[in-house]
Amino acid sequence: MSQAISKKSRTPVYKQQDLQTQELREKGLLFCIGIVIPLFILIFWEVTTRQGWVDELFLPSLSGIVTEFLAMATKGYAGTPLITHVLGSLRRVFIAFSIGTVVGLSLGLLMGYYKYVRAAFYVVTELLRPIPPLAFITLFILWFGIGEVSKVLIILYAGALIVMLNTIEGVRSCPQNKILAARTLGANDLAIFLYVIFPAALPSIFTGMRVALSVDFGILVASELLAGDIGIGYIIQDASVFFNVEALFVGILMIGFFGVVSDFCLAFISRRIVHWQG
Amino acid sequence: MTQLPSKSSTISPSLDRHSPHLTEDEVICLDQVAFGYSRKRLVLQDFGLSIRRGEFLTLLGPSGCGKSTILNLIAGFHKPLSGRVTHSGQVVKGPSARRGVVFQGNALFDWMTVEQNIAFGFRFKSLPKYEQQQQVKTIIELVGLRGSERKYPYQLSGGMRQRVAVARSMVVQPEILLMDEPFAAVDVQTREGLQEELLKLHEQVAGAILFVTHSVEEAVFLSDRIVILDRDLGGIYHEISIQLPEPRYASMNRVSEAFNHYRTELYLKMKAIS
Repeated sequence: MSQAISKKSRTPVYKQQDLQTQELREKGLLFCIGIVIPLFILIFWEVTTRQGWVDELFLPSLSGIVTEFLAMATKGYAGTPLITHVLGSLRRVFIAFSIGTVVGLSLGLLMGYYKYVRAAFYVVTELLRPIPPLAFITLFILWFGIGEVSKVLIILYAGALIVMLNTIEGVRSCPQNKILAARTLGANDLAIFLYVIFPAALPSIFTGMRVALSVDFGILVASELLAGDIGIGYIIQDASVFFNVEALFVGILMIGFFGVVSDFCLAFISRRIVHWQG
Repeated sequence: MTQLPSKSSTISPSLDRHSPHLTEDEVICLDQVAFGYSRKRLVLQDFGLSIRRGEFLTLLGPSGCGKSTILNLIAGFHKPLSGRVTHSGQVVKGPSARRGVVFQGNALFDWMTVEQNIAFGFRFKSLPKYEQQQQVKTIIELVGLRGSERKYPYQLSGGMRQRVAVARSMVVQPEILLMDEPFAAVDVQTREGLQEELLKLHEQVAGAILFVTHSVEEAVFLSDRIVILDRDLGGIYHEISIQLPEPRYASMNRVSEAFNHYRTELYLKMKAIS
């Protein structure tokens, strides 16, 4: 009884919210805005198309796109199940991104660490850097045929270049103090590379990987637009030819969806591994 | 009453530094060293300095006088243009685990825990695992990092980070520890604590310490001997031995009469060259 009273009297009442509560409320408000505005846009979209303010040929209705998606999911597209299209595209990106990362990482580490290697390849990389990978696409088809190989290779090339450039940057940005500290603790070149330079480059490497992955999705669609009979890019291309705007939107939205999901996964892994970075 | 050292007890840099009978006592010797980042503008010329085993020597001087350059030469980060730097009679050719270095900051491995940072030097030493762990534990205790073993550097305050840096270099027991303004970036209270801990560590670990600072107080509190460097000549302007009551790490030393005496003397010397 007396405890209850003393407890009560010890909790003073303040008029103003503390900073933590204010921050929490602000976060909640921002979250709501972030949800409400897109929802509003979607509703506006649905209303304009339903009312016939916009021609369905240019902008299909939201419900139409959903219906089309469900139809594609059950009956497939162009005689092929939707899952085959999706998996076909994802497989290309996955293979190209994985190999591209390994290639870019290896080259980047070599070029970042050995100044002679860097000097040897400097002109080549500086020349390749500004050329959009898509410029090579027909050349790749000419060299490697119109099948799977040229598609994977062009995606691989685009991603590897980005990972490589970021890896070089990461290796070179390793503070000299850390390297010297390791050396005065008895570390040899290999140990310095493994325990100091490589971990120091990891944040930059992951940034490169995330940029590479998003670029890879772009190159994927472009390569599938040009040739092939499977893939999300193929759906987009085929739907455009037949003015199937609903299917076109399904394709576009699917690319966006998988791009976001894969980037989210990579960002998650990255935060886990390079936890010391901000 | 503490006795003040007479002027005559200060040791002037002798010219016969490299004579063999002296080397028993000294760990590092710089002999007629010249250095400059460009040949046209030398920072050091005909510079001589010797550091005795186990002593705490501080290089004091205005910025740009070559304090850090001397430290880098001893560490093996730079090579002298002429003359030589020797460590126990052997010419210094590059960095070595026998000469530890504590940097001003930013030299910890952010991807390793406090414990892993401190134990890093043991990877390259053949010491039984058990003994390594024991020594790491002891030094963590000594620098007051207990409870933070599993933390990462970014979770620590600036003072704590420098404690890790000092512990990491000291745990492998180098013959000399080179410290380039290691406490310059922390606040005054923290810095005083760090200075006292450093002196305690120096009592435990036998190696010599070469400390670089531009703070007169810091130099007096820490050192057995202080060398003031000249800005223009890149030579030794003044040298003084410090004798303060034991234990040296007692913070009351900072307000002792002897401390004040040394500080005034050094302050005036510094004033004269700047």
